[in-house]
Amino acid sequence: MAEKFDHLEEHLEKFVENIRQLGIIVSDFQPSSQAGLSQKLNFIVTGLQDIDKCRQQLHDITVPLEVFEYIDQGRNPQLYTKECLERALAKNEQVKGKIDTMKKFKSLLIQELSKVFPEDMAKYRSIRGEDHPPS
Amino acid sequence: MENFTALFGAQADPQPPPSALGFGPGKPPPPPPPPPGGGPGTAPPPTATSATAGADKSTAGSGPFYLMRELPGSTELTGSTNLITHYNLEQAYNKFCGKKVKEKLSNFLPDLPGMIDLPGSHDNSSLRSLIEKPPILSSSFNPITGTMLSGFRLHTGPLPEQCRLMHIQPPKKKNKHKHKQSRTQDPVPPETPSDSDHKKKKKKKEEDPERKRKKKEKKKKKNRHSPDHPGMGSSQASSSSSLR
Repeated sequence: MAEKFDHLEEHLEKFVENIRQLGIIVSDFQPSSQAGLSQKLNFIVTGLQDIDKCRQQLHDITVPLEVFEYIDQGRNPQLYTKECLERALAKNEQVKGKIDTMKKFKSLLIQELSKVFPEDMAKYRSIRGEDHPPS
Repeated sequence: MENFTALFGAQADPQPPPSALGFGPGKPPPPPPPPPGGGPGTAPPPTATSATAGADKSTAGSGPFYLMRELPGSTELTGSTNLITHYNLEQAYNKFCGKKVKEKLSNFLPDLPGMIDLPGSHDNSSLRSLIEKPPILSSSFNPITGTMLSGFRLHTGPLPEQCRLMHIQPPKKKNKHKHKQSRTQDPVPPETPSDSDHKKKKKKKEEDPERKRKKKEKKKKKNRHSPDHPGMGSSQASSSSSLR
């Protein structure tokens, strides 16, 4: 799994470096640097080919669209992961709280119903088996 | 018998709609539905079980209860378990939520040249625009041949100022050094000014009583020359206060 990304990362780094060097050549162009420019341009083409080849290995990778918003705003995409984890934990705690409250409610309800309908609740318990109200 | 067979035959025929069955002649009226709340001390009518028994096999032996469902299995994964620990994401959680994650994109991609912290909408480099308006592409990337390369012959000389912005890279590294320097320097310089402040304050404190004395002497002189010429008591009081 990680190898795929390493491969892509390597190609991307090479590509970015080529672009940077191309930028340097272009920023102060000299007639003697024409050959270097042509070479760099073809390096970029091969770099794009290499990156395109990586696509086949990464078909099963899905990226949440929200990450792009972070990157587009110049923000660290790790913040998205952080916020996702925090949101997941908060929701998890919220649901746990609801479940615990409902469990408490159920046991209290069974307790109170047992006082008013002892026979019926005895039947209920015999059906449910495990559902003895907590003492 | 003929009547019975006729009736049997009629029953074997396709059934009329249920409403016709329910309100057919000679049949007893259907039992009233159980009250939704159920009064205290009154058990639900026994007919309720017979009504629901056919609908749900699990409730066949449920006695006076209806609408009973099987409880969800205790092994089922719910929100009552800590899902982050369940999926072994503790390390990731501690990594991202334990420390403070730096805000800027350049902190995530420190080796990427250019001003990457600026919003993508600024220079139309946003990834969103790539999805919304994908560029028109050919099926493959072809190398640039000799004739095509002639289109890339550039004028000699440096680029104009406005075009150089792409290659300027002032972000993190220099800033980091600055920060480091400032951090290392910060503790030192504040000490010196603070010391000098202290000294100044001390000097001020030292000077203060002298100034007070001088002022008081001036006042005394003024008072002596003044026509009102206050009594000795007040001057004594002032001198005593200066001693304090």
